[in-house]
Amino acid sequence: MRRPLRQAIVLLGLGCLLAAAPAARAENLIAALSADRVNIESNFTGTRIVVFGEIARDALTVARPEPYDLAVVVSGPEQVVTTRRKGRFMGIWVNRDSETFERVPSFLAVHTTRAPHEMASRTVLERHRIGLRNLNLPIAIASDVPIGDRDNFRQAFLRLRVQNGLYQEQTDSIEFLSDSLFRTSVSLPANVPVGEYTVSTYLLRGGALLAQAEQPLTIAKSGFEQFTYRLAYEYSALYGLLAVALAIFTGWLAGVIFRRD
Amino acid sequence: MQIYLPIAELPVNMFMLFGMGGAVGFLSGLFGIGGGFLLTPLLIFSGIPPAVSVATVTTQVVASSASGVVAYWRRKMIDFKLAGMLLVGGVIGSAIGVWLFDLLRTLGQLDLVISLSYVTFLSAIGGLMLFESLRSMARRRSGARVAARQPGRHNWVHGLPFKMRFRQSRLYVSVIPIIFLGGVIGFLGSILGIGGGFMMVPALIYLLRVPTNIVIGTSLLQILFTMAAATFLHAMSTQSVDIVLALALMIGGVIGAQFGARMGQKLRGDQLRLLLALLVLSVGVRFAVNLVLQPDELFSVSAAIAEVRR
Repeated sequence: MRRPLRQAIVLLGLGCLLAAAPAARAENLIAALSADRVNIESNFTGTRIVVFGEIARDALTVARPEPYDLAVVVSGPEQVVTTRRKGRFMGIWVNRDSETFERVPSFLAVHTTRAPHEMASRTVLERHRIGLRNLNLPIAIASDVPIGDRDNFRQAFLRLRVQNGLYQEQTDSIEFLSDSLFRTSVSLPANVPVGEYTVSTYLLRGGALLAQAEQPLTIAKSGFEQFTYRLAYEYSALYGLLAVALAIFTGWLAGVIFRRD
Repeated sequence: MQIYLPIAELPVNMFMLFGMGGAVGFLSGLFGIGGGFLLTPLLIFSGIPPAVSVATVTTQVVASSASGVVAYWRRKMIDFKLAGMLLVGGVIGSAIGVWLFDLLRTLGQLDLVISLSYVTFLSAIGGLMLFESLRSMARRRSGARVAARQPGRHNWVHGLPFKMRFRQSRLYVSVIPIIFLGGVIGFLGSILGIGGGFMMVPALIYLLRVPTNIVIGTSLLQILFTMAAATFLHAMSTQSVDIVLALALMIGGVIGAQFGARMGQKLRGDQLRLLLALLVLSVGVRFAVNLVLQPDELFSVSAAIAEVRR
């Protein structure tokens, strides 16, 4: 008699808590990164970070028939990006149309246990940027591109970003070490933009988002690279004079070294 | 060996940079040109952002022209007075050029203007030089005596007022065409992001009849000053001068320039002009081909300059 009663109380409690903490009594998701800071030094040629975690369940967790789905989304600082298309004008190829996307991630890596569209509805996927096809690209207000043509720009933007390694999507890339332990390795290419990143991990089942976890990741220059960058941006005049002096000195030095007569 | 560039924010192969700097530096010393019109497209082609390429090339040009200037100075082959007058015009021309540069950028057609200008000027100047040098070589081969310098012969340029004596160049000409020439080249230089030596050299030779050996050193000195100013302006306004990239290019460049300058002494004037003409023409044709042929990828993506910075 006590067991059904307790379940009823739990359900009641869940109902009350649903708005505030929907996953409070369901599965818990614990995730961590192999490093929360990536330093870019002069020998930087790209690196990998490992995202690992556990799906925490207890006796109260409702047993579900479907398998768990996981999605790991690594997104970089947002930026404004213009995609241009060349067209023929008086026999030559020039940039004619352009579409500007606002607040798009400068880097996006999506790792999932299976194809995103099998995991949940589009609304859920779009909200959490699960899958490149579900990435919302807000268009700047002043756009001359007709509605029917917009998808071409969208597709081209995603294609070019995938080409230079800044956008990645990998299905089946999350490895389960046990029933509840998982791990995936995200590659950060050499041209990875610096800034504050967010690593989000989502646990889904049967199309519903059960839990999510979020970790910050900082990608920053360090040492000489950081010093040079700050000098260039904060003391531009000094940096400019230094560059000129360095150039003249190098040229003069070469002239002296190679002096033959 | 890969090295990470702090401003361009990507790693590149250092030996590739040495190689590119060296090759362009060699041509720079050989012809008395800055080589910017060769190096900038090379860098952009190897994946470095265009803004960083343009700004950093100006720094590299400072080094390679400084190295060349030292070599020519020692041989007393620089006309300082002439370079000074050219620079006066250059400053005025650059100021107008920078103003137009901004205007075109707001109109969104800067890329097109740059490409078209490259095609027009490189083809026209390259073509003229090719024609002239071939004719001069043919005449020499047929046995006719060709004086590289004809002091008695004057063209319309020599009839202008405000004459000034340039002792080093053995010239007595009006300052108007000199300042005008400096102005036009300063203007084009700031629009195209180049020093303009490849236009300066033939103009000084054909229009003003400055002796060829003086022209190169004088042109290099003028480029040195213009590009030093450009480096400073780029560092101030766009922050896109990459000092690590510049240094790698310089080291290759200054060494190449020394060999180039030495080689230039051994070649005859018309041979030098023929080679420079072919070089200029081929870059012009390359740009023309790019404009006319349908590109493989019609789309391009560029992040706004005011992107999120830490």
